[in-house]
Amino acid sequence: MIWPWVETGLAWYTAFILVFFFAINTYYLALTVAGFWRTIRVAREVRRPDQRRLLRSPLTPPISVLAPAFNEEANVVENVRSLLMLDYPLFEVILINDGSRDRTLGRLVDAFDLRRSARCFERVLPCKNIRGIYDSPIYPNLVVVDKDNGGKADALNAGLNLSLYPLFCAIDADSILESDALLRLVRPFVDAPGVTIAAGGVVRVANGCEIHGGRVHRVQLPRRALPLIQIVEYLRAFLFGRMGWSTGNSLLVISGAFGLFEKRAAVQAGGYATDSVGEDMELVVRMHRKRREMHQPYSIGFVPDPICWTEVPVTFRVLRRQRTRWQRGLIDTLIRHRAMIGRPRFGTVGMVSLPGFVMFEMLSPLVELSGYILMPVLWALGLLSLSGAFVFFVLALMYTVLVSALAVLLEDIAFRRYPRTWDLCRLLLGALMENFGFRQITVWWRVRAFWEYLRGDLSWGAMERRGVRAQ
Amino acid sequence: MAPVVALEPLRNSVLVLAGVVFLLALFLLLQRTWSAISTGRRNRREPALSRLVYGVVQKSPVDATAFRRLSRFDRRLVRSILLSLALDLRGDIGETIAELYRALGFARRDLKRLRSWRAAVRASAAADLGLIHMPESIPPLVQTLDDSDIRVRQAAVWAIGQVGTASALTGLVRLLGDPSLVVSHRVQEVLAERGREVADAILSYASGSSSRRGRLAAIELIGWLRITAASDLLLTSMGDLDPEIRVKSVKAAAAIGDPGFLEPFHSLLEDHRWEVRCQAAKGLSLFGSPSSVPRLTAVLRDRHWWVRFYAATALAEVGEAGEEALSMAFQDEDPSVQDMARYLLERGSAVPALP
Repeated sequence: MIWPWVETGLAWYTAFILVFFFAINTYYLALTVAGFWRTIRVAREVRRPDQRRLLRSPLTPPISVLAPAFNEEANVVENVRSLLMLDYPLFEVILINDGSRDRTLGRLVDAFDLRRSARCFERVLPCKNIRGIYDSPIYPNLVVVDKDNGGKADALNAGLNLSLYPLFCAIDADSILESDALLRLVRPFVDAPGVTIAAGGVVRVANGCEIHGGRVHRVQLPRRALPLIQIVEYLRAFLFGRMGWSTGNSLLVISGAFGLFEKRAAVQAGGYATDSVGEDMELVVRMHRKRREMHQPYSIGFVPDPICWTEVPVTFRVLRRQRTRWQRGLIDTLIRHRAMIGRPRFGTVGMVSLPGFVMFEMLSPLVELSGYILMPVLWALGLLSLSGAFVFFVLALMYTVLVSALAVLLEDIAFRRYPRTWDLCRLLLGALMENFGFRQITVWWRVRAFWEYLRGDLSWGAMERRGVRAQ
Repeated sequence: MAPVVALEPLRNSVLVLAGVVFLLALFLLLQRTWSAISTGRRNRREPALSRLVYGVVQKSPVDATAFRRLSRFDRRLVRSILLSLALDLRGDIGETIAELYRALGFARRDLKRLRSWRAAVRASAAADLGLIHMPESIPPLVQTLDDSDIRVRQAAVWAIGQVGTASALTGLVRLLGDPSLVVSHRVQEVLAERGREVADAILSYASGSSSRRGRLAAIELIGWLRITAASDLLLTSMGDLDPEIRVKSVKAAAAIGDPGFLEPFHSLLEDHRWEVRCQAAKGLSLFGSPSSVPRLTAVLRDRHWWVRFYAATALAEVGEAGEEALSMAFQDEDPSVQDMARYLLERGSAVPALP
């Protein structure tokens, strides 16, 4: 026997969970479809001679590529070599050694014959002490900055201080850019200079691919389930999700692994926030905010074809660190910019994407976890039959699989990066598998991130790389 | 106690979703199968058709009889082979490719597509006509410059840049002030390559246009093309009230490098806009004149970092007198001036960069 008001409350909450579950999956479905249409439209506009035109055009702006590195001695030399080989008319590579405790700097000095330089720069953004600046007589467009450890945001701010060019591309030192990635990513800046202030590119999973000399030669799927599931996730959330958001100029996240920004706009917004673990999203939201407050026209876009390959975690321990960090970054950014939420003066960002992020990205793990707890409670109280629980579970599973399978299908139509039919079947299997364990554990980590955030945890956690280049 | 969740609608939803997922998977497999079949067919036919195309385009006049009995699939393939060849080949072979393209009726079809109701089709037709370099496509392409769709206009601009005669290129100059920035940029890019043929038209546009954007673009072009006849125009526009016009004029003047610009550059080192002062200092680094040393030395204490930086860079380019000035700056009480002097004395040459 339970009190009637408890029963009513449980019934209402169950209804809320049902509506929420329907809304969140519809939200992902809508984003995926919107992202796909936009991808097709962009792909049609880009013709083959475009790359040559951009290579020759005097309007193609020079770019500073900023690559922060912390304890990357294993891959750093090969990464820098691959960056120096990018197809782009004028660019510089600024590698920022963020106080590495291993031989990152030593390896770079040996490989590129680095010499200490007296290079002067304007300190437009605060950053930790710069111990030394090095340049290479072999590669005049390579600069290595050695500084005290201050985190990724601080390293990027240091790089921004030293950069000479009007655009900067922030990447992870362990990412692999396709050789024409910059040329593809710069297109919105060439078409609308002064208006486009940031653009993100696609981050894809490098695990399993055949990589030589800092280039991906053959795209393959990894054998292990964990990275395979993350590929489906990346397709759904990072490719079509972000493309969908960019439709109404309301994109809130440009991955720290690959994004191109107008330097002046980033500096005007105050650069990267060193006290945030979600510095990439935080900067983008701040740039939106600044521009909207100043009533200046601007555009923050997403380009679906420039590709950056990155290694994703292969162990649950590293994955946990990554996911809790992402969630803490999300919570932090949304709380910092809560004044924008629901305010018409911030346009689609304030009225659509920020409320959407609060509801479906930040709070969704709490609702989902409560659903997992509620089901056995309802059953124990006789309010839900076993068959009812089962039907609800299957329904949730079907809708989630539908969204993921759609993302896989749309990737196949738009890009076909995984040409073997067997790979396609494995991706569909991944879309199914993510609902058995993976999803539940990531929900738990994301809920834990709330606790970590409240404790003021700002740690990044080390990302252990197995070295995709060795594959 | 009644259950809190009504099962019947949920069960129905499960069935519907299962059906949708099944259909999606089926569609995916069908799409894959279809695509595998057409790729296989393409891979089988492409080598033979490529050999045929190569064989025909080696000889002039073109004999297209070998292509008479082709299926629609093969014709599409031949067209794509010709377009990809045209991208890389110019000269006589390029003309033969165009001849074959015309003989097979593809050109007529593209000209018809230029009148399509769908903007994407019109844009694609314009781009293909540009790629294939056919002189008879110029009049319809010039007409397309007034199309209401941006994509079509920019494709037509690019195409005219590929095939256009001087008179067609002159028609592009007015589009420097196109309401769409993308189109205006495409015109700039085309004229940056071929603008020397229409230098007079660019000059008269730069001096007479009422469009601010058009003037800016034309002045920028003058610099890229180093049109020496524009000196008087640039001297006037360096005193324009619009700071952006002043900046572009200084950049263009620096690219032309007429010694007559030296004194105006010295005066512009005192402009109230840092961007203008910066470009003037940068321009002076290209002249490397010892007469600039006192002015540049004074600018080393400018309130804007980039102006100081370019002034120091210009001093490094002047030679002995400049180096002496930098050595003096090395003793300056301002540490940023010291740093700059140390860097440039060590490096000895300019660092290419635009703020």
